[in-house]
Amino acid sequence: MKIEKHKKVTSTNILAKEKKHEPWLVIWAEEQTAGHGRKKDFWFSPKGGLYFSIILPKSTLEDIQILTILASFVVAKVIKENFDLEPFIKLPNDVYINQKKVAGILTEAVVGSEVRFSIMGIGLNTNINSFPERLENTATSLKMELGKEVDNRTIINQIVGELKTQLKIISE
Amino acid sequence: MKERKFKLNIRDKEYEVEIKPEGKDLVKIRVAGEEFDFRKASRQKQNLPLAKASLPKKSFSEKKIIAPISGTVSEIFVAEGEQIEKDKKVILLSAMKMENEIVADFKGRVRKIRVEKEQNVKEGEVLITME
Repeated sequence: MKIEKHKKVTSTNILAKEKKHEPWLVIWAEEQTAGHGRKKDFWFSPKGGLYFSIILPKSTLEDIQILTILASFVVAKVIKENFDLEPFIKLPNDVYINQKKVAGILTEAVVGSEVRFSIMGIGLNTNINSFPERLENTATSLKMELGKEVDNRTIINQIVGELKTQLKIISE
Repeated sequence: MKERKFKLNIRDKEYEVEIKPEGKDLVKIRVAGEEFDFRKASRQKQNLPLAKASLPKKSFSEKKIIAPISGTVSEIFVAEGEQIEKDKKVILLSAMKMENEIVADFKGRVRKIRVEKEQNVKEGEVLITME
């Protein structure tokens, strides 16, 4: 698994889109200054959280949509299997714990007559101590739910590894 | 008639044309690698179908950018009349919470933008026509 780690970036999705096509290359940042979801919705990305983008292998738009749903499932699965928590998947791209958002996925594709490039950005609130007031009621983190820190590197390895495994299973 | 070779520029596309007389009644014309035979009609009834003797139709028709998937038009990055280069981002189409940057596969002038911001479109629907 090839992971490119950065301390601070605008957004891992922006960075990934500037890369050459290298399937499964992971761009990981400790902090994002312009982390965003759809329609440029701000994604709170301070140090402590887990923010990364994966350059996806060449596929059709339909398969990429399935991959997004698959990623929600994988994030929830990794949370459930590692910690004593009950994640809830809000299809197609968000994961909640106790009615609060803990992870979001933004998949982006560049399409001409066929898909030229696609990436998947995942933001997971891992070791975030608190959220700004406007997010307090809608967002949570693993640390806030568990009362202890989690290991970001273990989680990123598990998510990307599991995503590859699941993709292999559904392709067979 | 002498053998001739020249280049023809039609709508920014260059075609290599080669005219080669073969004997008295036959002229071979090669356009962009494809060869066509022309004979004197009065002596030879065997005319070629018209379509076969014309240049590829595709090059002359209006170019279209279509929706690759059903979704909502989130952003439009070009204006009617604008000259755009190949690979230019033209529309952002959101589908299933996924953002798709639609890019032009060819350069040209934007003739008509057939959709509006926030409009829902179906797969295969024409978004933009170009010339």
